Amino acid sequence: MTHQTHAYHMVNPSPWPLTGALSALLLTSGLTMWFHFHSILLLLIGITSMLLTMFQWWRDIVREGTFQGHHTPVVQKGLRYGMILFIMSEVFFFVGFFWAFYHSSLSPALELGGCWPPVGISPLNPLEVPLLNTAILLASGVSITWAHHSLMEGSRKQMIQALSITIALGLYFTILQAMEYYEAPFTISDGIYGSTFFVATGFHGLHVIIGSLFLTVCLLRQLFYHFTSTHHFGFEAAAWYWHFVDVVWLFLYVSIYWWGS
Amino acid sequence: MRGLLVSRSRALLRSFSSSARNLFENKVAEKQKIFQENNDLPVFLKGGALDKMLFNLTMTISVAGTGYSLFFLGWASFPQKNKM
Repeated sequence: MTHQTHAYHMVNPSPWPLTGALSALLLTSGLTMWFHFHSILLLLIGITSMLLTMFQWWRDIVREGTFQGHHTPVVQKGLRYGMILFIMSEVFFFVGFFWAFYHSSLSPALELGGCWPPVGISPLNPLEVPLLNTAILLASGVSITWAHHSLMEGSRKQMIQALSITIALGLYFTILQAMEYYEAPFTISDGIYGSTFFVATGFHGLHVIIGSLFLTVCLLRQLFYHFTSTHHFGFEAAAWYWHFVDVVWLFLYVSIYWWGS
Repeated sequence: MRGLLVSRSRALLRSFSSSARNLFENKVAEKQKIFQENNDLPVFLKGGALDKMLFNLTMTISVAGTGYSLFFLGWASFPQKNKM
């Protein structure tokens, strides 16, 4: 029987990177099929295999950490670096869309009327639903910090309550934003204003949904006693991601909703 | 109204007591035993029969879908006689 004499994690060979890569192929070719040949079959196959891959890959990580004990301090350090680098890559993703917005809004083209918002666009009032959404996300930042402290102190019930409140606030934001999208007097095809608005806020909304799902998984894991008061990196990663989503919204609110109106 | 006070009602006390509220039991130790068993199974199959089924399903969908996408690529690469 062989035992490792180091603290690092030598993972078992896994099929999920392969199925994930194949899913990416099916998603992209599926989009082509949908856009040009009016068929969603390949896209649906791609989405299914992507969801199956994600579920099983992350399930295996939980098994390796919580059930097999592979997440030693040095391994956890690597996971922290990984999450930080991932979030940084997402920051740059959003920087691109903010660049596009400022490029077009700081020197508005003649065709737009030389002003921002362009002629004919009635922007949303930043002091109505967008301000409420700001308050919601800020409050969710407070509740998730409460959840973290409760977890570190060993207060199981409080942690569950605080995390549930955080998730509920995230869902409330999503619902309000969806209603705003439906009621907005402009669309994505209304020139560069519509494009920058809906692409930037749209990708943000997608990240809110992803963050809410991540937090929900953490809630389930907490209910199943996976987290201890000293070892709960999955939750910390979700909290970092959630704060990142909050900060992006603050930039969106100040730049597009407030300055941009 | 006093009967509605939790501290006076045994029924309410029972439903709010910690023993009744444990809808979730801590089964982590059992899971740890299953996943640390010395059976040489990789982690993605170590949970039981459902693991194998999910793996087969995922692999089949991915590989079959890849085959279909390559077929579609071959088809789309040539000009079609029919009008779209």
